Amino acid sequence: MLVLTRKVNQSIIIGDDVEVVVLEVRGEQVRLGIKAPKSVTVHRKEIYDQIQEENRQASQVRSEDIPEK
Amino acid sequence: MPDGLLGFPDFTRYLILQHRDGSPFRWLQCLDEPTLAFLIVDPSHYVSEYAPTLSDEAQASLELDAESPVLVYTIVTIPRGMPEKMTINLAGPIVINGANRKASQLVIDDPQYSVRHSVFDSARVAA
Repeated sequence: MLVLTRKVNQSIIIGDDVEVVVLEVRGEQVRLGIKAPKSVTVHRKEIYDQIQEENRQASQVRSEDIPEK
Repeated sequence: MPDGLLGFPDFTRYLILQHRDGSPFRWLQCLDEPTLAFLIVDPSHYVSEYAPTLSDEAQASLELDAESPVLVYTIVTIPRGMPEKMTINLAGPIVINGANRKASQLVIDDPQYSVRHSVFDSARVAA
């Protein structure tokens, strides 16, 4: 993993067109601003991981467990 | 489904099959991997007010315009042997552009839409 130290209002560039700016640091919380083209989706990783895990569970559903309605 | 489902990025071609006559359920059957299928249901069957916001990038990737017929399905999870514990995933709906058949699993980052929305509990509360 690449590790960089940044101050508030400093940023990093990922590729040519994704910029992540450190907006505010308060205690344990960091506010980030992300500038990216519309084709790039940005989400909190927790929600992504939850949906992945739920998809995995859902792929195991058995036909005999399906209710009538 | 150009991006596949989250966790299954390599599988992009799916077919929707009716589960049984009169059943609200459909199977999202993977064409690339015959053993992979997901049970899906129209969320309006269980949830009356479900209106996830379609982001600009989602609309662009599905090539949706104002005229496009849009289909929304949610993936169903049923723990083995426990149909009463069935849940639907309101945070990761499958949205289909009915005109070009492109589909995508959206990520709806909204606290009111759960990954595991319990359908039978909520039905009881509503009754």
